[in-house]
Amino acid sequence: MKNSYFPGCNLKTDAKGFEQSAIAVSKALDAELVEMPEWNCCGTVQTMTADNLMRRIAPVRVLSRASKHVKELEGSQNSVTTLCSMCNSTLKIVNAEVKENPNDLEKINFQLENDDLVYEGDVQVKHFLEILRDDVGYENIAKKVTNPLEGMKIASYYGCMLLHPDKAKIDDEEMPTVMESIVLSLGAEVVDWPYFKQCCGSYHIVDRDDIVNSQVAKIIRNAKKTGANALIVACPLCAYNLDNQQLELEKQGVEKDPIPIFYFTQLMAIAMGLPQKVNHFEDNHINPKPLLTELGLIEEKK
Amino acid sequence: MSYDYIEFGQTEKEFTSKIEEISGQNIFSCYQCGKCSAGCAFSNLMERTINQTIQLVQLGQKDKVLESNTHWVCASCMTCTVRCPREIDVAAIMEAIREYTLRYEAETIERLDLPEDLLKKIPNIALVGGFRKKSEL
Repeated sequence: MKNSYFPGCNLKTDAKGFEQSAIAVSKALDAELVEMPEWNCCGTVQTMTADNLMRRIAPVRVLSRASKHVKELEGSQNSVTTLCSMCNSTLKIVNAEVKENPNDLEKINFQLENDDLVYEGDVQVKHFLEILRDDVGYENIAKKVTNPLEGMKIASYYGCMLLHPDKAKIDDEEMPTVMESIVLSLGAEVVDWPYFKQCCGSYHIVDRDDIVNSQVAKIIRNAKKTGANALIVACPLCAYNLDNQQLELEKQGVEKDPIPIFYFTQLMAIAMGLPQKVNHFEDNHINPKPLLTELGLIEEKK
Repeated sequence: MSYDYIEFGQTEKEFTSKIEEISGQNIFSCYQCGKCSAGCAFSNLMERTINQTIQLVQLGQKDKVLESNTHWVCASCMTCTVRCPREIDVAAIMEAIREYTLRYEAETIERLDLPEDLLKKIPNIALVGGFRKKSEL
């Protein structure tokens, strides 16, 4: 099976480890992610206004090109896959909106005429977690595990965009299980904690890092209290906020003993014994290697 | 205890309708249960809670709504939206108040002046998101 894959901007910059580990994992599980051609930024945050079509053009353009790609890609289902949860949310919401409002879609399509493409509202958007749950299946993930993550106690951090709003959610918004199920199939321990979708402060990092810091402190304290030694995320912005701001809090003397932040695909790659270079751990702010070495999950090259 | 005297005329009604138009929501659906504010991760940082803000929008009290930091502290996580028992897209109302300011009172917004090293460091989705929500760009 192949999946048309929309990377989004961050997967090529700060989150290379997320993209490359996901691609490696997808190949190993016979659900390969194949990058779609000529993609553009989806706009990151979907507009919640009722009257602004301009902000909906970029996602529709992505969808129209994805629709072309899935037709050309052999063995592909009629869906485009995302890794970043903000892209997932933006594309899903706009996809649902234009299906509900054909008049809006017609106006947006008029803007795409230079592309010689029109979008017919015919493609689905899926997050890679949905592919893993619905198409691959947890038991098939477990079968590929050669290096079970024994000793890891993982708090799954969904953040907001995987679960909100109804149009974009990938699982139950108050009691999701998809990340926990993957953690279990990798042989790690699941931590049950209430802060799984407490917002990290998101884009406030640009000018109000005080807001982000207070959120990160709450989230991390709760994770530690429940015994977690690592967090998994599916969003490059959650990752940055939780990772970098923990170090910031340490500098300020507010928090100590930061815990590493992983993309869920990085842990899958380790558990499945894939080459370590796909994880790009050098981009992590809190070095995750000491924990992994201590638990005997990776060998530190001297 | 003291009571504020409020104006309620055509100007006030126009503000209410504008917020309804931008958000596409019926603001009068709100019956002040307070669930949005109770579940909001940022309530502790807001000068007015979300349900108080919504009531002021119902009453068209533009100045009071815009002077509070409530809509700027909102991070669009949409927890309120998914929990509202009246099925109001509460986050869209916060967005509409931001948009109102950006569209009609942009001169009151402080420019985002970001240091070079921060620009190099933070993820591009933070920058795009931040600028889309907080500036008229």
